[in-house]
Amino acid sequence: MLELIRRKMKFQREADPNWAVELGKRPGCERIFACIQCGTCSGTCPLSIYMDFTPRKIIALVREGFRNDALSSQTIWLCASCYSCAVHCPQNVRITEVMYVLKREAIKHRLYPKRFPIPVLAREFYEMVRRRGRNSEFWLVLRMALKTSPLSLLRLARPGWQLIRTGRLSLRRERVRRGFELERELASTREVV
Amino acid sequence: MQAKGENGKDRDIRIGVYVCHCGTNVAGTIDVARLREFAARLPGVVVARDYKYMCSDPGQELIRQDIVEHRLNRIVVAACSPNLHEATFRNAAAKGGMNPFLYQMVNIREHDAWVHPDRRAATEKAEDLLRAAVRRVRLHRPLELRTVPIHPDVLVVGGGIAGIHAALTVANAGKRVYLVEREPTIGGHMAMFDKTFPTLDCAACILTPKMTAVKAHPNITLWTMSEVVAVDGFVGNYRVTVRHKPRYVIEELCVGCMECIDACVFKQGKVPDEFNLGLSKRKPVYLPFPQAVPQVVVIDPETCIEFKTGKCKKTCIAACGERNAIDLHQPERFETIEVGTIILATGFETFDARRVPYYGYGVYPNVYTSLEVERLVNASGPTAGEVILRDGRKPQTVGIVHCVGSRDEHTNRYCSRVCCMYSLKLAHLIKEKTHAEVYNFYIDMRTPGKAFEEFYNRVAEEGVHFIRGKVADIYPADGDGRLTVQVEDTLLGAVRKIPVDMVVLSIGLEGRHDAPDVRRMFRISCSEEGFFLERHPKLAPVSTFTDGVFLAGCCQGPKDIPDTVAQAGAAAAEALALIDNGRIELEPNTAYIVEEHCSGCGVCVSLCPYQAISLSEETKKSQINEVLCKGCGTCVAACPSGSARQNLFEDDEIFEELEAVLAPY
Repeated sequence: MLELIRRKMKFQREADPNWAVELGKRPGCERIFACIQCGTCSGTCPLSIYMDFTPRKIIALVREGFRNDALSSQTIWLCASCYSCAVHCPQNVRITEVMYVLKREAIKHRLYPKRFPIPVLAREFYEMVRRRGRNSEFWLVLRMALKTSPLSLLRLARPGWQLIRTGRLSLRRERVRRGFELERELASTREVV
Repeated sequence: MQAKGENGKDRDIRIGVYVCHCGTNVAGTIDVARLREFAARLPGVVVARDYKYMCSDPGQELIRQDIVEHRLNRIVVAACSPNLHEATFRNAAAKGGMNPFLYQMVNIREHDAWVHPDRRAATEKAEDLLRAAVRRVRLHRPLELRTVPIHPDVLVVGGGIAGIHAALTVANAGKRVYLVEREPTIGGHMAMFDKTFPTLDCAACILTPKMTAVKAHPNITLWTMSEVVAVDGFVGNYRVTVRHKPRYVIEELCVGCMECIDACVFKQGKVPDEFNLGLSKRKPVYLPFPQAVPQVVVIDPETCIEFKTGKCKKTCIAACGERNAIDLHQPERFETIEVGTIILATGFETFDARRVPYYGYGVYPNVYTSLEVERLVNASGPTAGEVILRDGRKPQTVGIVHCVGSRDEHTNRYCSRVCCMYSLKLAHLIKEKTHAEVYNFYIDMRTPGKAFEEFYNRVAEEGVHFIRGKVADIYPADGDGRLTVQVEDTLLGAVRKIPVDMVVLSIGLEGRHDAPDVRRMFRISCSEEGFFLERHPKLAPVSTFTDGVFLAGCCQGPKDIPDTVAQAGAAAAEALALIDNGRIELEPNTAYIVEEHCSGCGVCVSLCPYQAISLSEETKKSQINEVLCKGCGTCVAACPSGSARQNLFEDDEIFEELEAVLAPY
């Protein structure tokens, strides 16, 4: 029962100011220290009401170096890249670019919000396309559901069967011909020029 | 060492060199003892000393004594920046009986010790610089400071609270003041306000006594409907041309009875009233507001039927009767005055809220600017002091949006300083009059002045809602004619949508749109934000880089009424200080023309940024007004024949310095 009472304090040992400074040097993140926390971004963001941390709070967390909180938030994955925040920001903070930088950081550090479907979808989609050059919807949704909430498959079974029956959802695992060309293309992007 | 003196006789050059330690600022990096020994060996140097603080009294006394004892006729001091102490050492030289301009200063602090950590290299550089100065100073000629007298009259441009206070202060000191105002009445923006923060004094009640004092003061010449069109001359001796625009009413004859307004063929007002920001209408013949000074009616030629068609019954003239104060053929007049100093108090303009389209100003009828609401709550405003919306309703919920056009990279980066306080004031007044739910949406609450924080507490305790969040969007609420304000309540940590009946946008202050033209006329500068530029933001906030022109009020930057009045007093004091002194001394580092070599090509005339050069009618050669010249050197560099030269920066002086720095002998 005592587990209902949880400490919400943040200690300085959880904060990494060096990470904040390093992030501030990435392209797009130059003005995060100019943020005045006015909240216009959160006010105009169409998805902020669904986020665990609003865009403004993400900037605040990043500046103080609370890396784990920022990177395992749902916010960065819910961002729709509509740029409303960046357009309205009175300090010209490129918030959308910050979100993308944080997504890459999250992938690098393998920090994700628990059982959140969007990063799982992103990863599975990428892996599927990387290996086969094609996205097979049936297998993508299956893998995503198994990795987030397997019980949802029960709910999805009926509409899934309708789609298969009417030929709208293929069970085949598609792949491109001459997949080595795709491999070479992707490898070239990882080359350091 | 021999050199030709001023009168052609050979003179012994006897140079004294002083190396300052400046505590450890210089001595910590440069070997001052070695520098002094080096100086002593230079040709022409009779005395070389080093001392801990040359600028101190004993330091200056050293110089004075040496001049007398060793019959020195040139001085070089190697120390800090001339910006700080050139005047100090010139004075010391003068005290010793030497012409102060036979002196050269070497900066071995900002230019050497403070920027080079290597001791040996820094000392070598100091030796080069010192050698250059010693060779240069031999060629200096004695120069005299020029003094010009100061005319005691003062011109004040702008009749708002700043101009009014400055004019009264100067006039009370017994000087004659011309107060020039382009509107038909003085009073400025303050006359439009209802109550003023933090005391909630009625603006008109505290302003009108000063306005009538201006009218009644024997030393003040009040010119309304007037503009400055040209400024000639220089500090202490300005010749200003003023254009008097016709108001089509003879000021001396009109008694302000306003019968002409009642009698006008327009039965009601049809012209948007500028004083009420278009919220009400006036007739072509009008008084701007009831307490206008001078209490004289104005006729607007753009809308008066007689001016547009020539076929009006002119009932106004009939109503005026025997006084015969209306003159529809009144011409514009030009007048030239002579003044010694000028105080600019031209005020501000408000930010155009249409530049932030998502707040809906000009689109939704119930979005107002703060200045419009000032007129609504004012008892002599368009709604007689009632807060009534454009559709006739009384609001039950009001949202006040802070920082419109301020603190924003997209509009103005600066904070307009007064908006938080006036937003609190409007919140209080609106709540008092309507008992509506009032929401203030702010980013930060800026209430720094005397009794300001207490005012904030008072308004909060009255039950006004304070939501910390910059409003993201304003759009019509579903169907009921209200507007939704969407904002993140950052303190609660949630996005909120609040339906309101009325939105008040707290618009910021901007420089006047014609500030660039006005500033050129007075030969001063504007800052990047569009306000007039002060000489120094901390140490000289009311003077400009042009001697004799001072700034007061919001034309220099956004500020509230207490600060405006303080600044106006300061500007008046600085003008009075000049006048009281009676004369001003000018630096002699001015340019001059050697007439024999001048070909009259006129290249220098258009290049001078201070318009100090003109082509003489008789000689057809350039002549430089020494008083206007600031010694920038542009004409000297541009002159194709080399006939434009500059005192203290002659060609031979510069070349000596260059040679000595680059090629040691």
